[in-house]
Amino acid sequence: MNRADIASSLFWGAVGAYVCSAGWALELGSVRDPGSGFLLFWIGVIMVGLSLGIFAGALRRRAGEGPQLAFGARWRRVVLVVAALFAYAWALGWLGFVATTVVLLVVLFKGVEPQRWSVALAGAVASALVAYAVFQLWLGAQLPAGVFELR
Amino acid sequence: MELLQQLGLGFAVALQPQNLFYCFLGVFIGTLIGVLPGIGPVGAMSLLLPATFKVAPEAAIIMLAGIYYGAMYGGSTTSILVNIPGEAASVVTCLDGYQMARQGRAGPALAMAAFGSFIAGTLSIVGLMLLAPPLSRVAIAFGPPEYFSLMVLGLTILIYLAHGSMAKALLLAAVGIVLGLVGLDSINARPRLTFDRMELVDGVGLVPIVMGLFGVAEVLLNIEETIKREVFDTKIRGLLPSAADWVASRWALVRGSLVGFFLGILPGGGAVIASFLSYALEKRLSKHPERFGKGAIEGVAAPEAANNAATGGAFIPLLTLGVPPNVVMALLLGAFMIHGVQPGPLMMKQNPGLFWGIIASMYIGNLMLLILNLPLIGIWVQVLKIPYRILFPLILLFCLIGVYTVSNAIFDIYVMIAFGVVGYLMKKFAYEPAPLVLAFVLGPLLENNLRKSLILSQGDFALFFTRPISAVCLTLTLVLLVSPLVPQLGKKRQAIALEEVS
Repeated sequence: MNRADIASSLFWGAVGAYVCSAGWALELGSVRDPGSGFLLFWIGVIMVGLSLGIFAGALRRRAGEGPQLAFGARWRRVVLVVAALFAYAWALGWLGFVATTVVLLVVLFKGVEPQRWSVALAGAVASALVAYAVFQLWLGAQLPAGVFELR
Repeated sequence: MELLQQLGLGFAVALQPQNLFYCFLGVFIGTLIGVLPGIGPVGAMSLLLPATFKVAPEAAIIMLAGIYYGAMYGGSTTSILVNIPGEAASVVTCLDGYQMARQGRAGPALAMAAFGSFIAGTLSIVGLMLLAPPLSRVAIAFGPPEYFSLMVLGLTILIYLAHGSMAKALLLAAVGIVLGLVGLDSINARPRLTFDRMELVDGVGLVPIVMGLFGVAEVLLNIEETIKREVFDTKIRGLLPSAADWVASRWALVRGSLVGFFLGILPGGGAVIASFLSYALEKRLSKHPERFGKGAIEGVAAPEAANNAATGGAFIPLLTLGVPPNVVMALLLGAFMIHGVQPGPLMMKQNPGLFWGIIASMYIGNLMLLILNLPLIGIWVQVLKIPYRILFPLILLFCLIGVYTVSNAIFDIYVMIAFGVVGYLMKKFAYEPAPLVLAFVLGPLLENNLRKSLILSQGDFALFFTRPISAVCLTLTLVLLVSPLVPQLGKKRQAIALEEVS
């Protein structure tokens, strides 16, 4: 039995079932004039079928056979980075590009493989300002100004 | 004669100062990201896509194309000097390139990679130039059933050649099609899977998905492991290959170019498979196969020629049929559309300057790369010494800026992070993201052509089998889908996939 494949097939099976129901709700139409849900419904059916196939294959496998879920010893860093990125997206609109970017970079420089404070701060400020100069001032991108109104 | 005239028009476009500058920028950035592990051409192209909004379509596409073939050049540098491929297509170059470097022959290895790439890149452009016009004429006869069947075939080949489980690859292609259908129905403007969110009415963006799956996911995987990089500190001497090196490599270059070009044309094929296949071919044909893996220069020349030739070949289905054969070309299709150009059989007539300008710029770009790569090897070595702990926050920052500036929507940043996590988990659960991305791009086209075909034939599926091109494509698709069920063929397919993984 392969737990990784069982878990992933159950997940995709559920997604497939949802896609089927969404396609059905959107109306299938007829073969002569397919509706908005026609392809969605049949793709959902295929997804459920494939998930069942992967599930059955996983049940037949012996323990240790096939893909094994292996997270590195430093998986917490992954969680930290993902959390930092979500926080960045959340704060970007109101704090503005430069301030949010400096905070994000300090967290990444210090949190994953800790650097000296001077390196982390200088690196974060310099990177944020260079990115601002290149993308906002040179390329004319519209980066969020935020409460500091830095445009 | 007409061909030369058209090529002349292309050079007139490509040699304009602005286009020359963007060509240089493209190949320079391409080489740089090829050198840096952790960010590939897909990520770099998505990142720079917004930067091209203000320039003419010619300059934009020339730059983005330059990143693609430039990355193939740059990828070999890390393979040879650090034993870490900067690019998936340079994985096999590690085998002999790194051994050559350990034997004090890093110079000839790097130079052969550069010359091989130049020769193959140029040959593939000649092939593209000769094959694209007749193919375009054939493609004008394509209707919805042909396009539908061709896209199904392209997706199936990619799925067939995907690593490991074919069922998983098929499943992800299905997920890609579903994601591609999010937004307004192109026929009756009905919203689908939008969850009442305005941001989803126009569908999910290609750039956030690609940056998430290929940029953020790669960073997450890398920070979980410790990347050890040992760069040769000694000065690289004797850069030019000897006469014996050239003699040993000459046929490897030719064969690598041919294998790469034709695999590049094939939907779902591309640089990675071409490099592995050409290496295996050289080893099989060699009188001394035992030298491979121990510093044989043919083992560098063949895969480097193949991966560069594949980039030229990959342009053929995109420019003549409007169907991208791989993820990079899918992104380029997106760039064409953003700039209001529809690649396909009519492009050569409607936009001859753009069509031939891209081809001519590739000649110029290849020359720039040769001039750029040899003297700048020292700089690339210094770039390689930047520790990953400094590099990854900057890669993430570029991904964030790149995604935001495409649409000025914070929602897209959330989408990118979510797909970064999905891409990370996909790797853990042994799923490959490439079928998802290609299916995402082809999904709406696939649906459109399927529905049009069914309306035209009044619901008669026989239409797909009575039109010859469509019938051939669907028959090949069926053969590929059924073949893993035949034990011997199934084993062969798994062997290809495993070879690629190893």
